[in-house]
Amino acid sequence: MASLFPASSTRPRPRRPGDILLGLAGGLACVVTLLALGWVLWDLVRLGLPHLSVGFLTGEVVDSGRSGGIGPVLVSTLMILVFALAFVIPPGLGCAIWLSEMVRQGSGAARFVTGAVDLLASVPSIVFGLFGMSFFCQTLGLGFSILSGGLTLACMILPLLVRTTLSALQSLPADLRPAAAALGLAGATTIGKILLPAALPGILVGITLGVGRALAETAALIFTSGYATRWPVSPADSGRALSVHLYDLAMNIPNGGAAASASALVLLVLIALINATAAFLAARWHRHHLAS
Amino acid sequence: MNPTPTCSSCACGGLTLSGVSVRYRNFTAVHDVHLTIPDCGITALVGPSGCGKSSLLNAINRLTDLIPGCRVEGSILDGAGTELTDPGLDVLALRRRIGMVFQKPNPFPHSIRRNFEIPLREHGLARARVDEVMEKNLREVGLWDEVSSRLDESALKLSGGQQQRLCIARALALDPEVILFDEPCSALDPIASAVVEEHIDALRGRVTVVIVTHNLAQARRIADRVGVFWIRGGAGTIVEEGEVEAVFGGAGDEEARRYLAGGAG
Ligand SMILES: Nc1ncnc2c1ncn2[C@@H]1O[C@H](COP(=O)(O)OP(=O)(O)OP(=O)(O)O)[C@@H](O)[C@H]1O
Ligand SMILES: [Mg+2]
Repeated sequence: MASLFPASSTRPRPRRPGDILLGLAGGLACVVTLLALGWVLWDLVRLGLPHLSVGFLTGEVVDSGRSGGIGPVLVSTLMILVFALAFVIPPGLGCAIWLSEMVRQGSGAARFVTGAVDLLASVPSIVFGLFGMSFFCQTLGLGFSILSGGLTLACMILPLLVRTTLSALQSLPADLRPAAAALGLAGATTIGKILLPAALPGILVGITLGVGRALAETAALIFTSGYATRWPVSPADSGRALSVHLYDLAMNIPNGGAAASASALVLLVLIALINATAAFLAARWHRHHLAS
Repeated sequence: MNPTPTCSSCACGGLTLSGVSVRYRNFTAVHDVHLTIPDCGITALVGPSGCGKSSLLNAINRLTDLIPGCRVEGSILDGAGTELTDPGLDVLALRRRIGMVFQKPNPFPHSIRRNFEIPLREHGLARARVDEVMEKNLREVGLWDEVSSRLDESALKLSGGQQQRLCIARALALDPEVILFDEPCSALDPIASAVVEEHIDALRGRVTVVIVTHNLAQARRIADRVGVFWIRGGAGTIVEEGEVEAVFGGAGDEEARRYLAGGAG
């Protein structure tokens, strides 16, 4: 029978020019990406590392940050982060669960809420800052405080968490729900013991992304948690976040460059640590629960 | 001839369906089904694709409640005379008594142990007894020796046939009166399929089994009674019902007879 295609052999043949070109372009793009990262890291390490020490991590801020350390700033940052997570996880998971498991897909209510979440995601962080200042600081009377900062960040990362949790839930096998229902499991058991644990790696990714955004955030915090560099004793105290400190050192403090680089290095390491922890937890969870 | 077993020794009950219809919005998938499912026997439902066999099974354990716009009419009585279509019925308790095994094995993506622990605990079994009940039912489906050393590993690591037997064991663990099987072997290779069939066959006399299958030879091998589905007037209904040999030996319905003749060899 005649073949549809011209006679071909399976002998190796020279690579086509298109393939070679594509390979080169891809390689070049990778090199550029690596260079960008390498340059940032190199700069931070070169300028910041000499400034870094245990004393820098634990010491008080002296002379507007030119000397001394970032101890109180680190504590404030972690406190803001903890409050942000505490305030964002319950409504974030709740909203995603409602959208994925409780409301009929494609119904008016579901479309309305999804639209609102997406709209919230597109609001610039400075707007969250202004909103946080007027609502949390003034209307609720929380003042410039770690609590106000945490609440504002929670609002900011809420849409991110809803979206990632929602897609984690929706990408679970559809037949888990009838399987659970056929065993007479109540809706709450199905969600709490079957769906959420199965979606946990995806939810962890969402939380990690949220933490990353929170740690990087300056605009939303300047107006809400403020600038104070004292050791924070309660959530009602004002506390300066690391990114705000960094901004201040770089923009407002002459000769603050070395301390700024050291602070930036700490920020990067912190984010890397949190990412690594989340990746480790997700991998461990995977090994225990899913097919290898 | 297999006499229809009626058992007095166990608690499983039969089902009596009369005038059952299943509607998806304004589409009628099943119309006016009358069917007697004797207790502790194996009743097979056969018939071409899309004629409403799954819809009928889902009406029995009320999975139809989960489908928006789906309505069930008619009467489904259990052995004790309870009306299963009653909107006020506790459907969670009903689904414990009437289990289901699906076409595609659907273990939870958790450990083998959790697959038992979650439903057993939900229905009030003491934590201390979970392992014992799990072991008993895994033995029942011949899976214990294969999995006893990996109970805390993911159920998804098992092969398709093992997963399906796990699902049967999980359904059995709730001590149901009836188990509904919806094409339980059609996603499996012939060998795994034969193993699963053998374990379903072994349930005879222990629980009431209703099995939907496209494999007529299988229906003939394991069933005591057969119901043949066909489309009549745009909706599926049962056109022939009775003892397996009687129905396969010569159905009254012309189309059903030709369909069943395909399974004679
Ligand atoms: N959720 C649903 N919404 C609307 N129509 C449905 C739904 N489920 C089933 N149907 C329709 O009802 C009819 C019967 O479907 P059903 O799945 O019960 O058939 P079946 O006999 O089990 O088929 P098969 O042998 O292929 O599994 C089909 O026409 C199908 O399209
Ligand atoms: Mg079906």
